[in-house]
Amino acid sequence: MAVINPPGIPIERGKIHEFANSIECDEPLYHDEIAAKEAGLPSVVMPPTYSTVENFFPAAGQKNKVELLGLDLRFVLHGAQEWTIERPIFAGEHLTIEHEEPVGYTKKGKRGGEMQFYDMGINYKDKDGNVVMHVKSTVIQTGGVVK
Amino acid sequence: MSKVAISSVKEGDEYSFTVNDFNRTQFVKYAGGGGDFNPIHHDQTFAEKAGLETVFGMGLLTAGILSRVPVEWFGPTTVHKYNVQFRERLWPGDNVEFKGVVAKTYEKDGVAYADLTLSATNQDGKPLILSTATVRDQ
Repeated sequence: MAVINPPGIPIERGKIHEFANSIECDEPLYHDEIAAKEAGLPSVVMPPTYSTVENFFPAAGQKNKVELLGLDLRFVLHGAQEWTIERPIFAGEHLTIEHEEPVGYTKKGKRGGEMQFYDMGINYKDKDGNVVMHVKSTVIQTGGVVK
Repeated sequence: MSKVAISSVKEGDEYSFTVNDFNRTQFVKYAGGGGDFNPIHHDQTFAEKAGLETVFGMGLLTAGILSRVPVEWFGPTTVHKYNVQFRERLWPGDNVEFKGVVAKTYEKDGVAYADLTLSATNQDGKPLILSTATVRDQ
């Protein structure tokens, strides 16, 4: 995927509309900018799990998690994810991202043999440099297929 | 839909909805929405070669739909923390109940907070996701 410049994630009204539709959410404040402004907000609101669109916005020199961790996509599971949102985030903002060093550890799996876990954290900062969201995700590389 | 004020809810209050008969098109729509193009979620041939009967939904699709519980209940600007632990996978044909229960209410610096216990449960009663969230009035 081509990189984006300046680096970071543009929080966009059209992408929020599309993303909200992909989780089948009709919430007006995701789709209706006029309603958002009437409610005193600057624009439509970023959904909590929208951070995943980070996939679409790699920065120059930044490896994606598959490359970074050398994952075998046949046997990858998403273990957990945690969002901390410090304030509402709106379309029109541009967030820069700061990847924390992945933390790896292994566990014995009940169904898939030895499992390799990776905890990965990302800080999302607004234009003033404040961390407005932190996302931690846990990815599991299993030893084989998990039926 | 009008929203509920967090200051007005109490422990045990519930909100839920169901999504029936999940299909592969929903997985593909979410791939386009969120950017997860792992072929295990959309490519039948790839899934079979990996030893599965068919493709399964992204955990974040289920988590995204589950996030609608606090959003539709209290409003999209109220979600402060959202934590999901993935359990069972989402398969085509699944019927899933998405549910939230108020676990605790409190006030901090004059702002009303609620801790919620959330779950996405399939037709066999198995959890796809176990989750907690914290919402607060703006």
